[in-house]
Amino acid sequence: MDSQVSNPAFWSRMQFGFTITYHYLFPQLTMGLAWFLVYWKWLALRTGDEEYHRAVRFWAKVFGLNFAVGVVTGIPMEFQFGTNWAGFSRYAGGVIGQTLAMEGMFAFFLESAFVGALIWGEKRLGPRVHFLAAVAVALGSWLSGYFILVTNAFMQHPAGYRVEADGSLGIASVGSYLLNPWAWVQFAHNQMGALVTGSFVVAALGAFYALRGIHPVQARLYLRAGTFTALIASVLVAFPTGDQQAKMIGRHQPVTLAAMEGRFTGGPMAGVAMIGQPNVAARRLDNPIEIPGALSFLAYGTFQSYVHGLEEYSEDVWPDNIELLYYAFHLMITLGTAFIVLMAFATVQNWRGRLESTPWLLWLLMLAFPFPYIANTLGWMTAELGRQPWLIYGLFRTRDGYSEVVSNGDVVFTLIGFTGLYFVLGLLFLFLVGREIGRGPDVEVIARRGEERVP
Amino acid sequence: MIALWYSIVSFMLIAYVMLDGRNFGAGMLHWLVARTPAERRQVVAAIGPLWSWHEVWLVGFGGTLVAVFPRLMASAFAGYYLALFLILWCLILRGVSLEVGGHIDDRLWQGFWDFVFVLANFLLAILFGAAAGNVARGVPLDADGRFSMAFFTDFRATGHVGLLDWYTVSIATFAVVLLAAHGATYLTLKTEGPVHDRSDACARILWAVAGPLFLAISIESWVVRPELPGQAIGNPLCWLGLLGVAVSIYLLISGLAARREARAFAGSNLLLGGLLATGGAAIFPVMLHSTLAADHSLTAYAVAASPSALLLAAIWWPVALALAVAYFVFISRRYAGKVSVARDTQGLY
Repeated sequence: MDSQVSNPAFWSRMQFGFTITYHYLFPQLTMGLAWFLVYWKWLALRTGDEEYHRAVRFWAKVFGLNFAVGVVTGIPMEFQFGTNWAGFSRYAGGVIGQTLAMEGMFAFFLESAFVGALIWGEKRLGPRVHFLAAVAVALGSWLSGYFILVTNAFMQHPAGYRVEADGSLGIASVGSYLLNPWAWVQFAHNQMGALVTGSFVVAALGAFYALRGIHPVQARLYLRAGTFTALIASVLVAFPTGDQQAKMIGRHQPVTLAAMEGRFTGGPMAGVAMIGQPNVAARRLDNPIEIPGALSFLAYGTFQSYVHGLEEYSEDVWPDNIELLYYAFHLMITLGTAFIVLMAFATVQNWRGRLESTPWLLWLLMLAFPFPYIANTLGWMTAELGRQPWLIYGLFRTRDGYSEVVSNGDVVFTLIGFTGLYFVLGLLFLFLVGREIGRGPDVEVIARRGEERVP
Repeated sequence: MIALWYSIVSFMLIAYVMLDGRNFGAGMLHWLVARTPAERRQVVAAIGPLWSWHEVWLVGFGGTLVAVFPRLMASAFAGYYLALFLILWCLILRGVSLEVGGHIDDRLWQGFWDFVFVLANFLLAILFGAAAGNVARGVPLDADGRFSMAFFTDFRATGHVGLLDWYTVSIATFAVVLLAAHGATYLTLKTEGPVHDRSDACARILWAVAGPLFLAISIESWVVRPELPGQAIGNPLCWLGLLGVAVSIYLLISGLAARREARAFAGSNLLLGGLLATGGAAIFPVMLHSTLAADHSLTAYAVAASPSALLLAAIWWPVALALAVAYFVFISRRYAGKVSVARDTQGLY
């Protein structure tokens, strides 16, 4: 640990890891919730049913708070490429800068231009334009996700680049860069993960109101839409998207796959460890319970396929935190499986018309909403810890990417600053969202000082 | 190509200053022009629905900068490390105060967030002003094109300079006055009643103060960078920028005099744009001047991405800008006219 504390890249990694993890708590809900707003607004337009309007108005408030925190915590992310990762920007800015700029110019402009209209503008816009604003925000948020994932996919599996005369990277083929197969798979997997978060949150609030016996019509609306979407999204997260993601890792990052599964020796008929503790010092997986052959089959298609072990590679290309990587991956899988079981059961109960009369299930649904956040975070930890020790896989090491002119003290200072600021931000967010939830979707909104009554 | 990209990046920054500058200005004057809670909500409503749309231009600028001038981004952002994080934190606080303040109809709650709002906007105007001063003055770049700067050293504008010295402080002061005047002009356009009248009075005073200050910082700039006026005279773009400034002064004065608020605000925007464009054109091709040795300076040619990257960006960027302009037209039309607190406050309280 001593060597880590004095390692300049370490603190910048801590800061980036902390700020990106915190930031991504918000966009995942934005990207999931956006389609619920579109869906309900569309139903409202078609049926004219006031309940759908209420649902949109209520969730738009939650969405607005969530979006605002996403914006303010997102801006530091882009700037940290320059402030903390100047070495990386010098080396790869000519490539990744393209998608960072596209994200700003194509996606953020679209999103932020219409989010004000979506949240603040129902009275100024009229129903049709208001619906279009919801669509624009949803598209913008997914588009920005795509550009960021292209950037990340380049770091995971560089494609479409060339080395310029000065040694830095430039784009050779924009098609292979933007349509990097890794980006497609990761995008599909990640967006389904966001939809899981969004639908769990919607279902949880439905369960909360149902258990308290208030806002019954709205509660039913949220429970139905939430549990069904959650089931579809939870299945899609595992198969085909998660499955394809694992195959992609097996093909392009075999060391990472070995570390994710705690496999030190290679061989055919490789099993998937259900349980077990990687022991890096002794180079083995302690106390494993394995499904034999499953890893060979899942990663490469046959039970006889050879799966590489860590010992086949030099230690300087091993991910530098194998234990954390292993547990993050396994915990994500466990949670993902639990999501499918829970939501499948909830959907069945819903079809039988018993969802709202099964209190223990409502309790589970209400308490389940933090876990998709955890699963999404664990997924990203798997992706990013698995990429180590590379900043750009196979090309550029993390230890070469930090800003040489910035001292450790400066980075520790700003990291502490972010911790404090984000703590306050989190309290505010929870307080205000809690307040909106407490007031609920059915309140007659009374404009200030009773000047105007708005139904 | 590189000159073109230099202009595009400058344009993004100028657009950001025009758009978010009005929010900084309105924010700084928040307490002065709005006395009662209801009046303060009026100021917030004039900014509220649009602040993230304005702030995103900074993100667009940052992204474009990485794409076409990656080495400048790497040198400058790492060198300005702490100052940049202060800006980021102030932007966070500013956004939060806007979003959060209106959620609860309580004097203490709103008073607190109004305070955060005013403070963050003041700091942002000062920090951005000081940043502009640093670009004009230069930073202590070494032979590798890297630098790291203290907040202040000996307050002299040569050699191992800090973020703040007599020159950058005076530019920051000018920025505060200029942006406050811009914000006041915007509020005059967007509000009614007492807020409108006070904003109007503020705008007149602030523009009157900005004039002599501008003269002062022009002379100071000439002292700090004696070679710049010569460079500027030979550059037709500088003359274009100055022409913009001249037109804007006419628009501004005639607009204020005739109480034609839209005209005055157009003049105010054009003035900001003209000043920044003149400055940007005068320093070209140097993007970051070295106060240690002139040949350590980073020129646009030295920090640009490869020609293929520039060409690629030149293909998609105009499309993105066209879309952004379309959104801009949409928003401007939807939010044209005076704000109404009842209509523009989300119905949150």
